[in-house]
Amino acid sequence: MAYEEPIRDYDELVENCTCAFCGCNCDDLTYLIKDGHVVGVRHACRLGASKVMEDMDQRLLVPMIRNDEGNLVETDWDTALDKAAELIAGAVRPVFYGWSETSIETMKHGIKLGELVGAVLDNQATICHGPSLQAVQNAGYPVNTLGEVKNRADMIVYSGNNAMNSHPRHMGRYSAFPRGYFRKRGRFDRTIVTMDPRYTDTAKMSDIWVGFEQNGDYEFYNAMRAVLRGKKLKKDVISGIPKEDIEELVEAMKTTQYGSLFFGLGLTHTLSKQRSIDIAINLIQDLNKFTKWNLVPMRGHFNVNGFNIFMAFEMGFPYGVDFSRGYPRYMNGETNTIDLLTREEPDVFMVIAADPGAHFPGGANRHLTNIPVIQIDIHWGPSTELADIVLPGSFIGVEAAGTSYRMDGVPIYMKKAIDKPETCRDDEWIVRELHERVQKIKGEKIASK
Amino acid sequence: MTYIDKPPVPNVVKFDEPMATERNKLEVMLNTGSDIYQGACKKRGSTLKDEYRHVSGTAYMDPRDMTRLGVKNWDTVLVKTDWGEVVVYAAHSRDAPHEGQIFICKGPWANVIVSPETYCCCDPTYKGIEATIEKINKEPLLMADLMAAVYMKYDKDAEKTTNRLTEKRINVGITKPEE
Amino acid sequence: MEYIIKNGIVYDPTNKIEGEKKDVMFKNGKIVDNVSSDAKVLDATDKLVMAAGVDPHSHIAGPKLVVGRLYRPEDSRRGVKPKTATTRAESGFSIPSCPATGYRYSRMGYGTVVEAAMPPLEAKHTHEEIVAIPNIDIPALALFGNNWFTLEYAKDNNVEDLAAFISKWLKITRGYGVKIVNPGGSEAWGWGMNVHGLDDPVPYWDVTSREVIHTLAEANESLGLPHSIHLHPNDLGHPGNYETTVGSMDLIKDISKNSPVRDQTVHMTHIQYHSYAGTNWRDFESGAEDISKFINKNDYVTCDVGQITLDETTTMTADAPMEFDLHQLNGLKWANKDIELETSSGIVPFIYSGRNSVHSVQWAIGLEMFLMVNNPWQIMLTTDNPNAGPFIRYPKVISWLMSNKRRTEMIEHGEVHKAVGRKSSLATLDREYDFDEIATISRAAPARAYGFTDRGHLGVDARADIAVYDIKPNEIDPSNEYETIECAFGNAALTVKDGQIIVQDGEIVSTKESQTIWANVQGIEERENEVMKKVMPVFDKYYTIKFENYLVHDHYIHNPIEVNIQAGK
Repeated sequence: MAYEEPIRDYDELVENCTCAFCGCNCDDLTYLIKDGHVVGVRHACRLGASKVMEDMDQRLLVPMIRNDEGNLVETDWDTALDKAAELIAGAVRPVFYGWSETSIETMKHGIKLGELVGAVLDNQATICHGPSLQAVQNAGYPVNTLGEVKNRADMIVYSGNNAMNSHPRHMGRYSAFPRGYFRKRGRFDRTIVTMDPRYTDTAKMSDIWVGFEQNGDYEFYNAMRAVLRGKKLKKDVISGIPKEDIEELVEAMKTTQYGSLFFGLGLTHTLSKQRSIDIAINLIQDLNKFTKWNLVPMRGHFNVNGFNIFMAFEMGFPYGVDFSRGYPRYMNGETNTIDLLTREEPDVFMVIAADPGAHFPGGANRHLTNIPVIQIDIHWGPSTELADIVLPGSFIGVEAAGTSYRMDGVPIYMKKAIDKPETCRDDEWIVRELHERVQKIKGEKIASK
Repeated sequence: MTYIDKPPVPNVVKFDEPMATERNKLEVMLNTGSDIYQGACKKRGSTLKDEYRHVSGTAYMDPRDMTRLGVKNWDTVLVKTDWGEVVVYAAHSRDAPHEGQIFICKGPWANVIVSPETYCCCDPTYKGIEATIEKINKEPLLMADLMAAVYMKYDKDAEKTTNRLTEKRINVGITKPEE
Repeated sequence: MEYIIKNGIVYDPTNKIEGEKKDVMFKNGKIVDNVSSDAKVLDATDKLVMAAGVDPHSHIAGPKLVVGRLYRPEDSRRGVKPKTATTRAESGFSIPSCPATGYRYSRMGYGTVVEAAMPPLEAKHTHEEIVAIPNIDIPALALFGNNWFTLEYAKDNNVEDLAAFISKWLKITRGYGVKIVNPGGSEAWGWGMNVHGLDDPVPYWDVTSREVIHTLAEANESLGLPHSIHLHPNDLGHPGNYETTVGSMDLIKDISKNSPVRDQTVHMTHIQYHSYAGTNWRDFESGAEDISKFINKNDYVTCDVGQITLDETTTMTADAPMEFDLHQLNGLKWANKDIELETSSGIVPFIYSGRNSVHSVQWAIGLEMFLMVNNPWQIMLTTDNPNAGPFIRYPKVISWLMSNKRRTEMIEHGEVHKAVGRKSSLATLDREYDFDEIATISRAAPARAYGFTDRGHLGVDARADIAVYDIKPNEIDPSNEYETIECAFGNAALTVKDGQIIVQDGEIVSTKESQTIWANVQGIEERENEVMKKVMPVFDKYYTIKFENYLVHDHYIHNPIEVNIQAGK
């Protein structure tokens, strides 16, 4: 790594900005601004900094519509919005997917539009922590805010999650390293455990690495729970872990003062899906008979939790909400994006602040080739290659203000630091415009009848 | 800011291992997920660039497996699953040892070979997929080429295959012959 | 626009109007004493007319509610209703979605609902939900009882700094008053512990619940806030807890009231849960007699009941250790949420059943409290929504209060467990509420307790928040026609909010944006700045959020009603 000179050439500093990357929502960033551009970021991790210091080469700047030759051609806002509104208004089973990288304020217009046309509203939880939410619905939800971990926790467990790669400041800002009120010496007062089949970068920073077998998570947690409840294990090795080690670990977890479990997609993406989380939640509940334990799902996007919270208070369900019958419906495996796509149900797909092209299995993306796709995003990405209408949005937390919810549910107002490129529009404006235009089309239809 | 084209990975150590016998094809378990290089490149928005192909279209392998297969860092391999096949780079995993497992960061390359089956739990199976890996003399495609080759949305001549789960094998990754 | 509600039978306890046949007139959102001949006539001949309801304690907006909705889709699926031309889709029974909450309160003729617990760190969330709820005005009480700063000030008995801290934090969170939940206990839950009784020191902090309550009450009165401290005392739901409850009320007898707009210095919330005698669940029995005796003798106390409605519901409170105990007891899924430096909270679904002896006695204790407290101005109608039952059961509770016949029927026909006869004195109480008393416990008294002078009554210049119910008070016999009573109070013939007609014949005909009511204390800004100098280093070190991002910005407060208070006056 080459040495880089510190950036000294800037006009102003904007402090206490919120990072729009992962669920840590670090709200202590300082942006260095010159000529209306962010030229440097302080305090951010590699991920946050790279997102804020975006790649302007691939920034979407003008609305585009796909022509007959299959090329995206630039157009004006009115044409693009009218075309998109027409598609949405005429759709029988529209799906609006995404939302996790935009603000709550944008979602407010999105839900109005969804209710109006009877759409399915779904977010990235459907491909990441959806099983966690199902497990929460099965087993419970003992959580804490991250400050509780910072101030009290003396044992921290990362399970199926590589925080050093996906949430790089998590350990430094909230869990392992910070000096808390009851943990004045920071890292030295805490035991860090990583449970992961791989010896990840997080495992390398931990005191204990439990490398259980691939797909062995359910069995492993079940064994821990059995030991905790005073049962004798009959097998000598469980999920690749010797039973003595399991017993020792359970003893350590039992005698700690305040423990916190952070779990990630390693648990949700394996075959046992929500059941591995069920058992982890049950384990935490059992541990609370002895001492204090909580857990927090490591949410990936900065507002993926926000969408779940928003949908829950607006409509009672966290994600995958189907309005096609005029009332909200939520059925796992039925009203979720991946299932809808593999069943080839949707006839219009709007993706906002998300990238199915990069993150959906090919088997699901395949249906996007059969139907019109409307994309609202800031960069040209894999989804743009599948999009028929592209509407360039703006960057929440940098170019536009908005509310987001941290992985632990703490709401943060992400302020605006610079102006957006002249030809772009705020996500909030775009969705509001779509809503108004669709309303007009629907109104005309009713009038003509 | 320095952009790195390829994530820094340790050089393969040639193990002096008597058990290692060379194979043409390995049966492995495929995991997908995210790492910091992929995350940074994707969210910066540099997805059309060669960098993205390296950070996302790379199978991270255990060095012993690499030895068996006879590949070194940034050689290319073909990964096949029940759902498709794709050409990616191979590189020494930072998390090794994990013999018999490969890790490909999420992205258009991994999408071709992961399972869309949700088992009614909304979440596709991104991890723990049985796969085979073999050496190949082809190059991974850049993102835009890959999207065009796999999905053929705007290719009028392409014969569209369905993706019904009964016909799991969707259009496999089309690979570019080396120049 | 002018309106006249003609010939209704008006009950307005604040203005001593008890069943008078008269017209109620309003113009531009306010009650007036005359209107021109152009006024639109709304006929209410012989129907019951009251001010719109005021709910003194209900959990309707905030992080706890969302956790409930997130993890109980089975509850959301109860009460699903499709959208109509005027309303959005509804969902939920005990934890309805925000739009449903607003519509359902309006259908019952309510206009103001107090959100009873707002953790300051997540105040923005509470306000976002308040904006999402239509039709009702919502003040939110901020949680102070387990705040680390409070614990420090209480330990040093530093009333002056605590007062400035409260005043500042109400500005930061846009809160209306001081809520105290299981003082010390929720902090102890940070270590998986609890405190028992008033003199059990909080682990590490070495301060007792007695000191916390007393210091907060003193600070509250030194500021002269429009509401007194709002106390959920220790030991909720424990057999034998009535002693703690009496002790909690007793310990503030030396504090003098410093506000002209209310009568009490302490509001005891969901008193039903705190009126238990016995030593365990087997010999558990009612302690309502001791509690009501104390309240009858001491007019500085008001309370709301938290009446059990015998439904499947969702319990949620900042009393997290209690929720864990409940989870151990009923085995249903447990949610918990600890909030740094401020509080903790827990959620557990609960099925109250008339076949269960304990639940039935709890039901009886609530009714005993209603019937044994003599002055209706000291007791208020709540179900501690959704803890003891969802708020849509208020009409049912009203019908129980107005009909001894119905209560006797429930006891005699086995709708509740026979333990009610042995362990409570409910069967011996034949008091029946009249309409004036109902108007008091559901409107006038809560408004008075919160210092709302602009609502809860129908005097000139009050907000035109009016409810008309389709019953003829002069003809009906509530004792026999309890079903009609329940139906009428659940489906208002007319609900008016700020002069806008929201409900007609039980149906929502229009909606309006809700308003947040918050208390802005003025006159001690310097003192606040002094306190903040000491608070900030601690804040920066131990919170995980920057102070700038902790504040509730104006962005979250649409159309607020700001109550200005001169500190100490």
